[in-house]
Amino acid sequence: MTEHVTCLGCGCACDDIAVVVKRGRIAEASNACTLGAAWFGDGVVPAEIRVDGRAATLERAIGKAVELLTGAARPLVYIAGDVSCEVQREAVAIGDHLHAAVDTLAATAAGAVLAGQRRGRATATLGEIREHADLVVFWGVDPGERYPRFIARYATAPGDLGKTRTVVAVDVGASRGPKDAGLRVAIAPSDEVDAIGAMRATVAGRDASAARFASAVDLARRMMQARYTAIVADGESGPEAIDPDRAEALVALGQALNGPARCTLCTLRAGGNRSGADAVLTWQTGFPFAVDFAGGPPRYRPAGGGGSAEALLADHEIDAALVIGAPVTIPGPVGEALDRIPVAVIGPRASTSAVRPVVAIDTGVAGIHEGGTAFRMDDVPLPLRASLEGPRAALDVVRALRDKLVHGAR
Amino acid sequence: MSNPERLRISGGAVYDPANGIDGVVRDVCIDGDRIVAELPRDAPRLDAAGMIVMPGGVDIHSHVAGPSVNQARRLLPEEHAVDPVPAPRLEDGTLARTGTGGTVPSTFATGYRYAGLGYTTAMEAAVAPLGARHAHAELDDTPILDAGFFVLLGNDDYLLRQIGAGETARARDYAAWLLGVTRAYAIKIVNPGGVSLWKSGGDTGRRNVTGLDDAVGSSGVTPRKILETLCAAANQLALPHPVHVHCNNLGQPGNYATTLETMKALGGQRAHFTHLQFHSYGGERGKPWQSAAREVIEYVNAHPETSVDVGQVMFGPATTVTADSPVEYLLATSAGGGRKWVNVDIELESGCGIVPYMYKERAAVAALQWAVGLELFLLSTDPWRVVLSTDHPNGGAFLSYPELIRLLMDRSYRDECRKRVNQKLLAGSALLDGLSREYTLGEIAIVTRAGPARLLGLRNKGHLGPGADADVTIYSSDGDRAKMFATPRYVFKAGTLVVAEGQLRRAPAGRRLAVRPEYDTAVTKDLRRFFDAHATVSFDNYGAEPVP
Repeated sequence: MTEHVTCLGCGCACDDIAVVVKRGRIAEASNACTLGAAWFGDGVVPAEIRVDGRAATLERAIGKAVELLTGAARPLVYIAGDVSCEVQREAVAIGDHLHAAVDTLAATAAGAVLAGQRRGRATATLGEIREHADLVVFWGVDPGERYPRFIARYATAPGDLGKTRTVVAVDVGASRGPKDAGLRVAIAPSDEVDAIGAMRATVAGRDASAARFASAVDLARRMMQARYTAIVADGESGPEAIDPDRAEALVALGQALNGPARCTLCTLRAGGNRSGADAVLTWQTGFPFAVDFAGGPPRYRPAGGGGSAEALLADHEIDAALVIGAPVTIPGPVGEALDRIPVAVIGPRASTSAVRPVVAIDTGVAGIHEGGTAFRMDDVPLPLRASLEGPRAALDVVRALRDKLVHGAR
Repeated sequence: MSNPERLRISGGAVYDPANGIDGVVRDVCIDGDRIVAELPRDAPRLDAAGMIVMPGGVDIHSHVAGPSVNQARRLLPEEHAVDPVPAPRLEDGTLARTGTGGTVPSTFATGYRYAGLGYTTAMEAAVAPLGARHAHAELDDTPILDAGFFVLLGNDDYLLRQIGAGETARARDYAAWLLGVTRAYAIKIVNPGGVSLWKSGGDTGRRNVTGLDDAVGSSGVTPRKILETLCAAANQLALPHPVHVHCNNLGQPGNYATTLETMKALGGQRAHFTHLQFHSYGGERGKPWQSAAREVIEYVNAHPETSVDVGQVMFGPATTVTADSPVEYLLATSAGGGRKWVNVDIELESGCGIVPYMYKERAAVAALQWAVGLELFLLSTDPWRVVLSTDHPNGGAFLSYPELIRLLMDRSYRDECRKRVNQKLLAGSALLDGLSREYTLGEIAIVTRAGPARLLGLRNKGHLGPGADADVTIYSSDGDRAKMFATPRYVFKAGTLVVAEGQLRRAPAGRRLAVRPEYDTAVTKDLRRFFDAHATVSFDNYGAEPVP
């Protein structure tokens, strides 16, 4: 049994999983939620190396990937999920060397990150919610669905939901907060940003008496009287479209609440170590995603700037791509566009990828077959533990590829 | 230029104050990664005639790596966009890494730019234990520099509990354990108790401490007790660097009284007080600020157990980034607010606040801060205990060090600058009395290398005696000291020629500087219980050590 295993099934990165292996398969991942159990699965992954769909040696596959990437006029390096920060660091180095565009899975929460870049943010590591918050406001999200252990691990002490703290669900249209919240506030999606504005005006001591925001304004008053409020919102897009201005409005509200009281804005992020991709790209380039090395030094062209993988692919700018990570984690539109260009994939289950790669090198899954570092959704770094023998390590493969790209056939 | 295993640097004027050498023309010999006393006559030679030879620079306090720094990077895309860093072409023909600059550069750019200034060692000054693993990863991506970090203590729940319970021995064991598991170099204390109050969301008006004897929580814990406990622990553990203290009341008018009280509280024991400039203001809340540099530095001058770095403010863009989160809240909301502001409450441990900031010559407070820093430098009597720093990037970026050196070495230039700045709050500043002191090259070598190396307990750094690390910087002599120090001709790091003719030629990885003090392991049993009850990270996953 391997204890203290970190799960990358969602951004909660619960690190209390005990993995039991029997006859080469994961028999149990105790403490894991349903999402976590599915992420671990039985741990059996393919170990193929394929070029043009046929089995190949690692050397030939790497050689072919080099050919593909160095022959491209406009390569893209896409960092997908389930790889460690150590692998992500190598991936960015490859992008730098290739003068490539680099984007990552972290871009799925672009709205929240961009809002943070415009205003900053008042936030906290997740343990602070449990430790200090007497008012927890779930803004249009029930973590139970996509972050199943969030409430139990981070928002409450064991068994105290609603006992020692007030839990509020803000229902924005069909995006509803937790069912068992002690208090509910309903806001129409078309009113959401204005309602947040009215709340902020209330916090600032200005009159915000528009009748249709009365319940939101009441909530703002409650927040001002709390000792420490945690606003929990989803950084990832769900089934419902989110107003693009919501993220920044919530940032501003959260910051303003630190005048009369204390407040943290917690942004939920999905799994696969996407927060690690954001952190690594930021420390190596100064930018969190949508980085372009085409001119040499990194340039930042996020949403609207046309530099996201999705936008570059849609514009048919990219003529070859390197995906590092599990292709199954790639967002739909990016994956569909990748299917139309030659792609090399290095990562878990690469050989079964729907993007039909020219080169596919299966690796282990970070946190199941290989170690390293991953980031929780609140940027807390955690070690990964291998509990099962797997195929070749992603880190070894990307290092070999980088070495070949930099030094050729030396 | 090639990089021979053995090299005689001949004919330069050597400034090696740790060995009593002050501008004497002599040879410096490198064998591998070390300085040696002699080499055979036929060893390869670098002609340094007419040049100035010093040990590699040592930065005792800088914010270059870790969670807070990365939050600051993420906040500054505009700065990065206008300061692209192309990949240097290295000696072997390969391109090094690209990056971006600004006040908080990307990691590779940080390493290259420090080396480009002749600095070969730097200490990241504030890492929350929870972020230690992240800080090490960034330092791994920061080439050339030998680097370590100071780990944040003094607002952490476990420590405050031990102090409240009178368990000073256990507090010491805990500090030793924490240094080891986070692979840190020294203990950093930031606004002891104040950050804890800010985080707990206490009653209005109780969101920070105001002095050494304010209660923190209910247990009778005070900033004074926190300071005493950790200072004693560091000295009992015989750490190479003593407690590194960021005092309470940073940036507040009248805070010099708190600073002096803090120094006295730790009197007789080794302690380092950082960015002293930000803690040397007279006046009082609601009244004009003034300089209290003289009062503070005179105390330092008279107390050989006390050391400081200045935290000079340089005019231009800066980014304030600190664990002192309540102070950043005040800065973010001052003067009408509207600035970008990041606050991160870090569970059980510490905080983080970030506000980008511009120091303007025409702004009265910025001008006062600039003057206070210079006064501290110019009124100090022992350069071995007063280190050059800008608290990068808080008072200005490390790239401004050459300009700061010129201010210290060139009185007429300094006087010219002084006339340009806002005079409103300068009444009472010793700068107006026409401080005539000019730092010598030997003194610059002390405040940028020999002094910080000694204060950090880095025996092989900051000097050029046999056995020292072969970290050597060679400057072309230039009357414009800013120009001279901004563009060294040659820089050797551990014997490797990293900069030649002002160009980066090699970018080897640096070494990590860390301590691992011994302690009574009984504390870990108690810590495990504490983690099980309060932490969201497993005890076994905590810290920065490799896991199986």
